[in-house]
Amino acid sequence: MDYYCVMTFNSTSHALNFEKLFKGRGIAVRLMPVPRQVSSSCGTAAELPCQLREEIQKLCHQQHIEYDEVHMIHHKQQKNWFADWIKK
Amino acid sequence: MKKLEGKMIATGGIIGIIAALLVKFGNPVNMGVCVACFFRDIAGGLGLHRAQVVQYLRPEIPGFILGSFGMAKAKGEFKSRGGATPLIRFILGFFLMVGALVFLGCPLRMILRLANGDLNALVGLVGYAAGIAVGIEFLKRGFTLGKSTAQPAASGYTMPVLALGILGLLIAAPAFVFFSESGPGAMKAPMLMSLGAGLLIGAMLQRTRLCTAGGFRDAMLIKDFHYLWGLIGIFVFALAGNLVFNFEAFKLGFAGQPIAHTEHIWNFLGMALAGVTAVLLGGCPLRQTILAGEGDSDAAVTILGLIAGAAFAHNFGLAASANGVPLNGKIAVIIGFIVVLIIGVSVVQHVNRQSIATRSKKEGGASVGI
Repeated sequence: MDYYCVMTFNSTSHALNFEKLFKGRGIAVRLMPVPRQVSSSCGTAAELPCQLREEIQKLCHQQHIEYDEVHMIHHKQQKNWFADWIKK
Repeated sequence: MKKLEGKMIATGGIIGIIAALLVKFGNPVNMGVCVACFFRDIAGGLGLHRAQVVQYLRPEIPGFILGSFGMAKAKGEFKSRGGATPLIRFILGFFLMVGALVFLGCPLRMILRLANGDLNALVGLVGYAAGIAVGIEFLKRGFTLGKSTAQPAASGYTMPVLALGILGLLIAAPAFVFFSESGPGAMKAPMLMSLGAGLLIGAMLQRTRLCTAGGFRDAMLIKDFHYLWGLIGIFVFALAGNLVFNFEAFKLGFAGQPIAHTEHIWNFLGMALAGVTAVLLGGCPLRQTILAGEGDSDAAVTILGLIAGAAFAHNFGLAASANGVPLNGKIAVIIGFIVVLIIGVSVVQHVNRQSIATRSKKEGGASVGI
């Protein structure tokens, strides 16, 4: 099973600060809508490399980047007839 | 990633087709589904305003709430939560409705109007995007309505129970409930069909989290087009649905569009007000309705704001009509922008003060030793 890690934030500006910090350091983070497995809010989260998550969290503390939580999300293999149909 | 896009287009597509079908079976043209209009009709049906042409307890709305409730319950996602700055949410919801009723439709109806050739909706769309851009500037500066916390079950069940109450009143039709005899409020698809459509859309949107404000916001702010695909799906399939089911009603142009006016400035500003309020609220009226179904009492407060806004809009003569936007409506939109600006600045100032306070607390220990 495939998985990826996301960090959630209490406010969008925290997510933007986070992106600014890590993009500048060459770490592959990417802002995205909060995945629905985590919460159903209409907010912003950041995808990050799972192997670096402890380092990233430490850096966030040092640089005063506020965040909510880090989650590991498993991709589920789902069949979707419409998506398959669209791809044809 | 492609798979997810297909899912969003499909979700939007089903909404678009349902909207076209509801028009075919009786809903007003370009109003197969309109969240703002339907809350306005419900406010009228409950007698909160007395505009005789827009009074009906639209079953689609209880459908959205209960569809979302049922799906959230089935998937274990129903959570009673709230308490994140409810009064400001109420006020933002109020002015969101004022903006929507000056434009004549919520963001969803804006897409449906566009899909039926109404180019006034294009002006509205530009306004909506502009409003969202203003909202994003506040988000970048730290705007947040805070984090919701767990609440007693009674709080989360309020909206689903209210939805059942509205359905009960619709079926029992007691004398104190108002039903339009003419005008848009009298145009309606059969009750069970409307309810079924609402349930289906509610359940789907609870799963996909599609949000009109979220679509534009994510595209502009983080270059993520996930939700925007859903909006494109609504547009394309509503267009196709209209051409198939309501061909005689399709008309490209500005003038003479159903339940619309051609005052470009106010179409723009009305939707801009809706856009900025929706972004600050974290979701458009449709999204708020879905969230209220899954136990979010902050969204429920927002809905009460929408209903209050609709009641005032008609009682104070703010709402536009095919004849245009009344002076009171123009003044209300300007007041709305001023209020939203004050709220935005106030929240940003508060957030910045809080973050300086926590930082100096954290660093305080170290500085003592120096």
